[in-house]
Amino acid sequence: MAHKSEDLFDCILMADDRFHVEGYREGFGEGTRQGMIDGRKHGASHGAKLSMEVSFYYGFGITWKFLLQNNTDVKARKRLKVLESLLGLIQKFPHEEPQYEHLQEDMEKVRAKFRQVCSLLNVPTDFSDYVKSGGSGGISF
Amino acid sequence: MNDTVALLQKFNAHPDSRCWYVAWNPKGTLLASCGGDRAIRIWGREGDSWECKTLLQDGHQRTVRKVAWSPCGNYLASASFDATTCIWKKKNDDFECLTVLEGHENEVKCVAWAPSGNLLATCSRDKSVWIWEVDEENENEYECVSVVNSHTQDVKHVVWHPTQELLASCSYDNNVCVYKEEDDDWECRATLEGHTSTVWGLTFDPSGQRLASCSDDCTVKIWKECQPEGGQEGTDVAWKCVCTLSGFHGRTVYDIAWCPLTGALATACGDDGVRVFKEDETADPDQPAFSLSAHVPKAHTQDVNCIAWHPKEAGLLVSCSDNGEIAVWNYQSGV
Repeated sequence: MAHKSEDLFDCILMADDRFHVEGYREGFGEGTRQGMIDGRKHGASHGAKLSMEVSFYYGFGITWKFLLQNNTDVKARKRLKVLESLLGLIQKFPHEEPQYEHLQEDMEKVRAKFRQVCSLLNVPTDFSDYVKSGGSGGISF
Repeated sequence: MNDTVALLQKFNAHPDSRCWYVAWNPKGTLLASCGGDRAIRIWGREGDSWECKTLLQDGHQRTVRKVAWSPCGNYLASASFDATTCIWKKKNDDFECLTVLEGHENEVKCVAWAPSGNLLATCSRDKSVWIWEVDEENENEYECVSVVNSHTQDVKHVVWHPTQELLASCSYDNNVCVYKEEDDDWECRATLEGHTSTVWGLTFDPSGQRLASCSDDCTVKIWKECQPEGGQEGTDVAWKCVCTLSGFHGRTVYDIAWCPLTGALATACGDDGVRVFKEDETADPDQPAFSLSAHVPKAHTQDVNCIAWHPKEAGLLVSCSDNGEIAVWNYQSGV
C-alpha cells in the first residue's frame, strides 16, 4: 500500500523532470535528423561547385590541347607543356575523397596553373559571373 | 645618437593625392615617383634641387602603387590598382609604354625586377604572386612563368634576392614567403611566421644573407637563412628570425630599406617619422643587434609610405608621404 502511494507521488513529482528528459531526447533526435539533411545538402552543393570548377578547367585544357597539338612552332610547344601540366594536376586530384588533407592546397595549385595557362594563351579571365570577388571597388592600400 | 638626418629638399610631387612610392634608377641620376593621382613622375637633379623631367599620365586607370627600374636602367615597370602592370621604355627624356601585363584579378600591389633583368615578379590583392619572363628577342613579349598562391590574403610586397634567383613576398596574412624555381615552376619553399599583423615591406641586406621585414605590429624583424635539421639536400630552406626591433615605432612600419653601401637600415612609419638603424658591430652574427641611430619625428605631416637609399651616394635618402610630398635627406653617421 505504501509502495503504491510512493509511486503515485513519484509520478507527479518527477513529471517535470521526466518530460524534460523526453523532450530533450525527442529534440535531439529531430535535430540530428534535420542536421543530416542540411549537412547532406551543404556537402552536395559544395561538392558540385568544386567539381564544376575542376571540370571546367579540364574541359578547357583538353580543348586547347586539341587545338594546339599539331602546331609545331616554339611558342605552341611551350603552351602545350603548361597545358599538360594543368591536365596532370587535375588528373592527380582525388575526386572521390572529400577528406583529402591537401584538398585546399591542390585546388590553389590548379587555380594558379589555370591562370597561368590563360595568360599564355591570351585568354581574358573575367569570371565575375561565376566567382564572387571579395569587395572590389572599395578603398585599397 | 650623434648621427643626424638633415633635410635637403622637400617638394610636392603628387598634388592633392598620396605619393605612394619612390625609386632611384640604378645609376642614381633619376628618381621615379608614383601616386594616387594615377601618374608617374620622373625627377632629375638640377644643381641642388630635383626637377620634374617627365610626367606619365595616361598609363593607368587607377592609383599607381609602386614603380621599379630594370637593372639596366632602360625600363620602368609600374604596378597599379587597375590590375595591370605597365612596362615603359626610356627614350631620352620620355618613356614609351611597351606593353601592359594583365592577369591579376584585382589591384596589383608591387612589381620587382630580378637582378638578371630577365624576370619580373608582381603581386596582388588576389593573393597571388606572378613571375614573368622577358623574351630575349622581343622586349615587348612577357610570358607568365608561374602563378603561386601561397598567401591566404592580400600580398603587399615582393623583393628579389640581390644575387640569387630567389624571391620573397609578404602579406596581410602576417607571413613572409620565400620562393625558388624547381623544374620550370616557382614554388614557395619557406613560410616565415612571427609577425602578428600585416607585413608591409621587405628588404635584403647587401650580401643577401639576411632579410628584414616591417609590419603593422610596429616591429621590424631580421631573418637569416639557416641549415634545416637533418641537412638533407634539396629540402625546403629554413629561415629563422634572429632579431626583432620593437618599441621604436609608434605606428605601422610601412617600408624598410637596407643601404647597399653602408648597411644602415631605414624605416618609413605611420607616425610620420623616418628612422635609421645601425648594426652593432660587436654582436654575434647569428644574433645581430641594431640600435636607433637617427630619428626624424615629423619627417612629413602624414604617413610615410616609402623610403629609399641612393644606390651610389652613401647617406642620401628619399622618402614620400600620404600628403603627396617627397623629401630628400642626408644621413650622416658620427662614428
